[in-house]
Parts: sequence; C-alpha cells; structure tokens
Amino acid sequence: MESPQIDSARIAQVSRGLGRAEIERREKVFTVTDLAVSYGGNPALEDVTLDVHRNTVTAFIGPSGCGKSTFIRCFNRMNDLIPGAKVEGTVLYHGADLYGRDVDPVDVRRRIGMVFQKPNPFPKSIYDNVAFGPRVLSLKGSLDERVEKALRDAALWDEVKDRMKDGALGLSGGQQQRLCIARALAVEPDVILMDEPASALDPISTTRIEDLMHELKRDYSIVIVTHNMQQAARVADMTAFFSVVVAEDGSARRGVLVEYDTTAKIFTTPSDKRTEDYVTGRFG
Amino acid sequence: MAQMRATFQEELRELEELLDAEAELVLRSLRAAVEALVTRDAELADEVIAFDDDIDDVYLRTHQAIELLLARQTPVAGDLRLVLAILHSNLHLERMGDLCTTIAKLTKLSADLPSDEVLLGAFREMGERGQEMIRIALEALHGRDEELATSLIHLDELIDRSNRRVVSRLLELGPENLEWGLRAIVASRCLERVGDHAVDIGEQAAFLATGEFREFTDASHDPRPLG
Amino acid sequence: MTSSRVLKNRAFEAAMLFAMVVAFGTLAVLLVDTLVTGWPQLDAQLFSDSPSTQPEEAGARPAILATLYLGLIVLALSVPIGVLTAIYLEEYADRKRWWNRLIEVNIQNLAAVPSIVYGILGLAFIVRGVGIGRVVLAGGLILTLVVLPTVVVASREAIRAVPDSIRQGAFALGATKWQVVWRQVLPAAIPGMATGSILALSRAVGETAPLIMVGAIVYVAFDPTLLGPYTALPVQIYNWTKQPDPTFQTLAAAGAIVLLAIVLSMNAVAIFLRNRYRKQW
Repeated sequence: MESPQIDSARIAQVSRGLGRAEIERREKVFTVTDLAVSYGGNPALEDVTLDVHRNTVTAFIGPSGCGKSTFIRCFNRMNDLIPGAKVEGTVLYHGADLYGRDVDPVDVRRRIGMVFQKPNPFPKSIYDNVAFGPRVLSLKGSLDERVEKALRDAALWDEVKDRMKDGALGLSGGQQQRLCIARALAVEPDVILMDEPASALDPISTTRIEDLMHELKRDYSIVIVTHNMQQAARVADMTAFFSVVVAEDGSARRGVLVEYDTTAKIFTTPSDKRTEDYVTGRFG
Repeated sequence: MAQMRATFQEELRELEELLDAEAELVLRSLRAAVEALVTRDAELADEVIAFDDDIDDVYLRTHQAIELLLARQTPVAGDLRLVLAILHSNLHLERMGDLCTTIAKLTKLSADLPSDEVLLGAFREMGERGQEMIRIALEALHGRDEELATSLIHLDELIDRSNRRVVSRLLELGPENLEWGLRAIVASRCLERVGDHAVDIGEQAAFLATGEFREFTDASHDPRPLG
Repeated sequence: MTSSRVLKNRAFEAAMLFAMVVAFGTLAVLLVDTLVTGWPQLDAQLFSDSPSTQPEEAGARPAILATLYLGLIVLALSVPIGVLTAIYLEEYADRKRWWNRLIEVNIQNLAAVPSIVYGILGLAFIVRGVGIGRVVLAGGLILTLVVLPTVVVASREAIRAVPDSIRQGAFALGATKWQVVWRQVLPAAIPGMATGSILALSRAVGETAPLIMVGAIVYVAFDPTLLGPYTALPVQIYNWTKQPDPTFQTLAAAGAIVLLAIVLSMNAVAIFLRNRYRKQW
C-alpha cells in the first residue's frame, strides 16, 4: 500500500519553536552565576543563575520592581554608570569574565548593544545618528555602506533613504525606535539588549519591532525585557520569570529568578506556581 | 505594507498542512480497510491496524501545536475560528482512523466466512463515498467554502442509503450467516460513522466561514427513516 | 458664575493690566525721554571724535572703542572658563565630595554679589597686587569675574536640559565619557550656552561701578590700547552728566542711546538664537 509523503521532522517543529535540547546545543553567549545587584547597599536582585544561548531571543518577564531591567543592564555594564551600584557574582561573555579587571566597559558596549524603552534618537540628522557609533569607535570601512546596511537590517531604509539629512526627531515613534535599533546595529554587535523596546509604541509599530526581532535573531543574540508577557510569548525562545520577594517587615523588596525555561513550557505547563499565577494574570 | 506577524502566519499555514497530512493518512487507512474487507485480506488488515499509530502520532502533534499556538500567539477573530475548527476536525479525523481499525479487526475475524456480492458492492460504494466526503470536507475547510460544506449532507444521505441496503440484504440472507452478518453490520455502521464525521468536519468548515456554528443535521430531529 | 465671582475676576484682570501699564509705561517714558533729549547730538561726530571741553566738538569715540574692547575680553575669557567649569560641575564632579557641594551652593551666591565688590577686589589684587595698573586689561578681567558666575549658571542649565537618555544612548554605543560630552552634550547645549553668554556680556557692557573703582579715568582723548589708560561708555556718560553745560547733558543722553543700542542688539541676538535653536525633546 502506497504511503503518503509525510515530513515528520517538520511536523514535529510546528508551533513548538525551538526545543530545549536544540537551544542548549547552541553556544552559550552569557553564563550568569549567582548574580546579585545592589544600589547603595540596598539589594535589588539576588541569586540569579542562567545561560543565554546564541541566536535566540531570551525574554525577562515579571512584575514591576522585580529587577529585570537591573539585570539586563548587567550585560553591557550600564550599571557601572549608576553611582552606588554594585554587581556581585559572575557574568561570563563567551567564557570570559565581563567584569574582569582588565575589561574595558567601552569595548563591552560595542559588542553588546542596547535599545531603550523610550526611543532616544540624538538631536542630529538620521545619517549622523546611525553614523555616531562607527565614528566614535573609529571603525574602518565605508561609513555610507555601514549606515545603509544598518538601516536595511532595521527595516527602516526604504522609509528614510531619501531624507537622510533630515532631523531624526521628525520621525514617528515607531520609526525612531527602529532608528535606535539601526544605530545599535551599525557597530556590528554580537548581542542586542532591548529594555521594553515597544512599550512606548502603538500596536502596529510594536508588531513591526517583534517581526524585526524574528529576523534579527538569525544573525544576533537578543535579550529583551518586557512587561507584556504576551509579547514574550510571541517572540521569545527562552523566557525567564522574575518575581519580587518582600522582607518580613515589609521594608526590603528584592528581585529573584523564579523559573527559566522554553517559552513553550512557561506558557503551557510552568513548573512553579508563582509563574502560573503570573502568566494567567492572577497575580502581579 | 509587507505582511506582518510572518511567523504566526507561517504557523497557521503549517497547522492546516498538518491536518492535510492527517487526512491523507486517514484516506490511506480507509482505502486499505475497505479493500481488505472486500478481498478478505487479513495481511492488509494488519497493515491498517499498524497505520493507526501514524494517525495517532499526527493527531497528538496537531493537538500540541494547537495548544502552543493558542498559548503563544493568542489568535482572535478568523484566526481563532481556524484554530478551533482544526481542533475539532483533528478529533474527527482521529476517530475516523479508529473506525478503519475496527473494520480491519472485523475483517480479520470474518476472513473465513462466506461473502455476498451485493454486500461487497455496498461496502465498496460506501468506502468510495467516504473518501470523497473526506476530500470535500478538507477542501471546504481550506477554502472557507460554506456551500461546499453543506453539499456533504447529500453525500452522507447516499452512505446512509447504502447502509440501509446492507441491513435489508442481511435480513434477506437469513440466520445461517448470523456471525458474518453481525460483523458486517458493525462494519457497515463504521463506514456510516465515517460519513458522519466528515459531515462534522463540514460543520467546522461552515463555522470557520461564517462565524456561526450550525449542526447540518441533528440526530434527534432527523426526519429520515431509521435503519 | 455668580456676580461676585465675576466681579473678582474682572478686578484681578484690571489689577494685572494696571501693573503692566505701570511697568511698561515707566520704561517707555524713560526711553522716549532719553531719545528725545539725546537726538540733537546723535551724529557721526559722536563716533568719530574724542571728548573735548568744547561740547560742540566732543565725541565718545575712545569710550565706545574701549567698551567694545572690554566686551571682547569678557567674551574671550568668560565663555571658555565658564563653559568648562559648567561641564566639570555637571558631568564630572562627584556630588558627594564636600568641595563640590560647596561650589554648588556658592555659584548662585557669587552671581548675586554687588559688582562694586568685584571692583574693590580688582583694585586690590589686579591693579595693585599684580601691578598692571589702571588699564583696559584690568577692566576686562574685573568684568569677567563679575559675569563668570552667570555664564557658569547659564551653561549648567543648558547642560542639564540635555536629557539623560541622550547620554545613555551614547554610552550604550561604546562612547567614552569625553566623547559623550564633546559630541552629544555640548552640541546640544550650545544654543543655551550662547544665549546665556550673550546676556552676561550685555550686562558686562553696562557695568559702571567696578570700572570706576579700577580706574576708567574720566577724561581720555585718545584711542585705548590693551595696556593703556581708558574710559568706558557708561563712565563717559556719567562724566558728561556732571558737566554744567546743557549740551553735555544732551551728549550724555546721546551716549546713553548708543549704549542702549549696543545692549539691546546683543539681547536681540540672544533671543533670536534661543528661539531658533530651541529643542523639542
């Protein structure tokens, strides 16, 4: 009896996205062990251990005050800029200690780019915005080509190619955010960190940024913080859920990592009840 | 504007393809089951029983895919109706697969018993009709075609008639062929049930197309004669 | 609205209107009076001739030139020093150190110190202490000190107005602290700094008391040089008003018009710059 052609491997792939095994086969970009962050003596985040893998989208979700933004800033040492911020534990970047004695934060930030919650284009022309990074880092090669490639990769080129000299502040919110992404891409990073990249944008712009993340993860590793867990469900391969722990006397609040697993697992059968309560919307 | 949520659109398409794959497997089982029944081929019947594992496999994967799609993409409107339609159709196809297995088991049990041309003819016809209905049901689903879905009622009527012919023929043949007769009735009933499931898939197709769920025929209000 | 509320509303509006009329009206009267008084002597001679005991031949040329030189000195000194100070205080200083907090508190105080105090200090330390004497340079240095706090404050405000998100964005791209300041903060702050500097300058140009203290002599009949004796326009005006001959009064008014023109045009430039480059953050 003749059998129909069934592609079982592809069938297995549908909707599940990347499986845990597949993800863990990929190189570790970040290895975080027992990380704790405090500001001026007050602990903000404690006890975080997880790995971020290459060419994946990793999302940090959780209620406000759970330390997810603090955590993401550890990856590009932006916490160094906050007086009184102290980072303990280890963060390895491709196996090397990110906070090592002879590591230059400036170099770190070239390879690990960041996009912020509120789009923050510089008050300069569109061209100069994207060219800023390559200029300050004195990167070699044609600046024009670099700028064009970055804008193409950020899905903005077609909209701005005829007005590169115009001020960046004249763009719409969604375009400004894509400009900020292009700006980060122009220095050819390895990792892109996004701190609530779409929370200040309208739904269509948000969807465009999410679609962009799917494209970008082919070449980059992406870590995003989002307070919109549906967004994490849509874009992320791995999701980490953080929660707030309040001290007995109600004074100190600190963030802890509750669960870290594939997005599929977190949103279908989470292991921890706190995770279930959060994603079902029962608890903030 | 370029298409948005490309990954999500892709996942929906793949879900429909999964259903198609399952339907192909069911058609294979149905063809083989009827063939085995009609030619009294016990080996082929064994193959049909083995085929059911494949169907169950796709059924499970489709179910998991639906669960993940709902969790991750929160579909609404037409997308949600599609997912729900596939959820139900998935079940109906799997049940059809089980019915084919039942037919195959019956075939094995009655392989040595005498046959009757009229009955075999009826079975063949029911088998053809069933396959046709499965194809039409899936086509109506993919095409969001309400009219095509509704046309399944007529085909189901034909299967029902064949089923009634089987019963009356068996009554003619008399009590000497009781054992075989009992088995034949069950087999006939299975084939008739396959038709019903195809109609159910048609109802899902109509729901997908119109947003309203409507039973084409309701067992308690069916004006047609029994048996 | 009840009638008493309407009444109160109208009364308030009337009071504001009255205040405005008083303020602008007084100014307008003063300006018109000066203009009318000084008009007869407002001619080319005012700009070309030196002062003289004969009012018909008197001009304010040395004073006008000296005022311009003083302005240039103030500009050349106060802007770089003021801007760099502001950058240090805003971008580099560690707020927790006591000396920075001390500076923080006292910058505003310095701007409020009466300018004659600077005059006395200048006399003691620059004219006599360093010993360069009663020269244009000394006057310029004193005036620089007078306006420096203002320049620093204005520059700091301009720097503070640059949103922190810009700095964060630049740092996140791998810029060093210096690059962030030089390429992002400063360019964005320049319009504010320019406005503040020009306003400070226009104040300096009108200062009289400190210049008298450090010896802007009353009667100078030759063009001033950097290290030579001088008089400035405000002082010249003051001097003329003391003369008995009424023509000198007219001359004084004419000089005042010139001074007003200089100051007002500087202010106009400052306002133009501010409006043109006002940023929408």
